[in-house]
Amino acid sequence: MKAHLEQHILLGLLAVLGVTWIWYSQEPMDDPLGFGLTEAPIVGHLAPDFTLSVVGSDDATVTLSELTSRNGGDVPVVLNFWASWCGPCRLETPHFQELSLTYQDQVAILGINQGESAATIADFGVSFGLTYPLLYDADNGVNEAYEVFNLPTTIFIDRYGVVREVYVGAISQAVLQERINRLVKE
Amino acid sequence: MFPTLHIGPLSLPTAGVMYILGAYAALTAIERAAGYLRQDAGRLYNLAGLSLLAGFVGARLTFVVIYWPAFRNDLLGIVWPLNSGYDLMGGLVVALVAGFFYGRFHQLNPWPTLDALVPGVLVGLLAVSLADFLGGPGFGELTNMPWGITQFSVRRHPVQIYEILAALLALGSWWYLHQDRLFDGQLFLLSTALYSGGRLITDAFRENAWLSANGIHLLQVICLALMLLSLYLLTQRAETVNSKQ
Repeated sequence: MKAHLEQHILLGLLAVLGVTWIWYSQEPMDDPLGFGLTEAPIVGHLAPDFTLSVVGSDDATVTLSELTSRNGGDVPVVLNFWASWCGPCRLETPHFQELSLTYQDQVAILGINQGESAATIADFGVSFGLTYPLLYDADNGVNEAYEVFNLPTTIFIDRYGVVREVYVGAISQAVLQERINRLVKE
Repeated sequence: MFPTLHIGPLSLPTAGVMYILGAYAALTAIERAAGYLRQDAGRLYNLAGLSLLAGFVGARLTFVVIYWPAFRNDLLGIVWPLNSGYDLMGGLVVALVAGFFYGRFHQLNPWPTLDALVPGVLVGLLAVSLADFLGGPGFGELTNMPWGITQFSVRRHPVQIYEILAALLALGSWWYLHQDRLFDGQLFLLSTALYSGGRLITDAFRENAWLSANGIHLLQVICLALMLLSLYLLTQRAETVNSKQ
């Protein structure tokens, strides 16, 4: 009987300790960016900021931080790194186009080319009938900042500007939709 | 750290390679554990293999059902590519159901079976942590500790290494006790309590944790519940065995 009581007291004590530890580990929710986030192209970090010109428009540019809450915006962002010679990129491009229409105003889909001329990018956009912005990374600085070694690479960024997933390789429409759904609902 | 492995012209996702190696190691661990506990190693291997396969198929099919409109015009997409597009919860439920019915069909005694399965599960969890560590999707919170990992000029807690240590602690306890266990289920319950307790502590240092609306780490809540339940069942089973003797 005494041993039984001791066991229950020990379990109770462990429960109290556990709850205290959980309470102590609680994250402050007043700062959605979290504590100590730095810019890095990896999950859980702030997505490196950039400003790039939009191909096919005279002076239009896109600044990542202005789309997310880091600088006044409030939408998740999907960055798709691609090149016209890349077969898997061509396979997945229609999915991005279709979902950019489905989730219009709820998510920003941006295509970032790797190492090709503005004319090649424009031709690619016309041949696929793309309406989402295709960005010109003239010196490949953004490709380097995101450490894009394989094409295609897709980076999912939440509305707070935090990288949520780095997806290497061709993405199916269903997976793309699931990821965007998740970002939009948060 | 190393999201892709470059072998000649091939680029392989490190996490995917680790998962495959982890599945193989887990099945091998179960086979060995069954041998040590003098159980039917072949049958337990089949149970684990079937659950793994059912979980894989179940996770994919659940995903397909949820996102059916995207697959309706692309039926080939159900079976290829398979590098993503899985529903974890669906896979877990299907794997557990498949394992349960296999066990029922072959009349496996639950507690000794769980004792033999636990090293495989721990090895699998260890492989997932290692894949997470090598793939590099987000280490822990900032730290000044000397064992922190420096990435992009800041030092962070290597949470996945902490998780691996928790798994090794649980595996060590299993190994230490497996020859002198007092009753069936002791190894399973003790390993579960130790691993859950370890994750309860280490998840506090994770920066990309699964959070509730008020910032509570949800995995910690699950781990605390699992740990307390395992310890409670451990004492209950010990009492039952004692009273029988």
